[in-house]
Amino acid sequence: MPDDMRSLLREFAETATDTGAAIAPVGHNELLQSITDTARTIFNAAACSLALLDEANEFLTFHVASGAGADEVIGMRVSVNQGIAGWVVTSGQPIAIADVTQDPRFASGFASETGYVPRSILAMPLETERQMIGAIEVLDRNREGADSSGDMQLLSHFARQAALAIEASRVFTHLGTELVESLARATENEDLRDALRETGQATRKPNASLATLAGHFNELGRLGDDERAAATGLVGEFLRYLKARGRPR
Amino acid sequence: MKPAWSWQFEEETLPQIEKLALPEAITKDWAWEGSTGAGVKVAVIDSGVDASHPAVGEVEGAVSLAWDDDLEEVVYTEGPHEDFFGHGTACAAIIKSLAPDAQIYSIRVLGAKLTGKGVVFVAGLRWAIENGMNVVNLSLSTGKRDYFDVFHELADLAYFKNVMLVSAINNVPNPSYPSEYAAVFSVAAHEGKDPLNFDYNPNPPVEFGAPGIDLEVAWQDGGTIEATGNSFAAPHIAGVVARILGKHPKLTPFQMKTVLHALASNAK
Repeated sequence: MPDDMRSLLREFAETATDTGAAIAPVGHNELLQSITDTARTIFNAAACSLALLDEANEFLTFHVASGAGADEVIGMRVSVNQGIAGWVVTSGQPIAIADVTQDPRFASGFASETGYVPRSILAMPLETERQMIGAIEVLDRNREGADSSGDMQLLSHFARQAALAIEASRVFTHLGTELVESLARATENEDLRDALRETGQATRKPNASLATLAGHFNELGRLGDDERAAATGLVGEFLRYLKARGRPR
Repeated sequence: MKPAWSWQFEEETLPQIEKLALPEAITKDWAWEGSTGAGVKVAVIDSGVDASHPAVGEVEGAVSLAWDDDLEEVVYTEGPHEDFFGHGTACAAIIKSLAPDAQIYSIRVLGAKLTGKGVVFVAGLRWAIENGMNVVNLSLSTGKRDYFDVFHELADLAYFKNVMLVSAINNVPNPSYPSEYAAVFSVAAHEGKDPLNFDYNPNPPVEFGAPGIDLEVAWQDGGTIEATGNSFAAPHIAGVVARILGKHPKLTPFQMKTVLHALASNAK
């Protein structure tokens, strides 16, 4: 791929990343919360939670939870080389454990920190064809007439939904890289594919403050006509003020 | 969307299969009577095996693989290691319960951070195939498309070298590699706990159903735990295969599948 083409593509990708949050669909967190709430209700369980892998793939952080110990569990971080959730994301295999108090390391670690020590756990990876995302856990389920195998199959549908929802929202956070990466995936020519992948990886990572700003615009765009007009006016005024001060940036 | 797999072994779903009408029937007596799996090398590619667990007994060899960020390659560390989760120990104990004299080799590929996991997993499987293992238990899988080709190549390589790859299929409705290839013994959990009782599913990719639901399995710190998962069904088939190989060491993977087909509980 010629150099000018490469740099044009990178510029395009970075612009896309910067503005991705402005066009992201709303309700991502609400959707995840509703998945854990629904799973908890259907399994008649004490709690249900979602843990996501960090970028370095070393830790799992619980982002969403419903039920017993939910407030304590949100924000909790565990290493991928330990515990039930760790096993699930490293092996790619779901597991159901009837009595976790038989596992002394588990009981004394994770569970006691949340203030809720469960007896049973059903855990399943959140995985798509592209990446391992994290794990979903259901604690102390009590679904009438259910067995572990049936429960596992049922939870797999929630897991798939959650994985796809998370992946879809991540597309907007890394929009530029994702666009170039999807071009690469669709390319038969190996040299071009490698060049596209390199460009995608060389693209600047999302900038948190730009993403927040784009997120605000996203919200403003969804308001009524009057509010949108007022916001546009305000932002325009603010920009004129900045320019008048001679500090465009 | 593909269905999950264990349902295929439910009584009302699993079809009866026709036994191959050989001049002399393949019987359990012929297949494994008197065998302890002696002389058979079984690799457990997992989270490590705790050799001190009473249900495991002895571990013949151990190698731990990890991705090194600086060297940008997989590093191999030979010698005893711990089991990070308890799962590898559970698998080894199940295999030993069926083939007590089989030689267990622990190939630890899980437990370090996830970066490079796929590469390490591939390297572990390659190590097993190239180091004379007869049976390989893989209670792990990846759904990542990127690994489709390399696992396919390794599954074929294993097949041609007479290495029996026994792999747990992921119980979620996504693709899972390497358990979906024809050269692999793909296993899901079925109802029932008799370790010598398994089913054959005539509608693959998952071919074998074996115990994996509400089982008491070995775990960390010498203990046990009651667990469910296809990852516990795979070592049951690996154990049976090791037991049969102990008596019939020259069987090829396709012959072994024929034997298992003939001895399946749903074969009439």
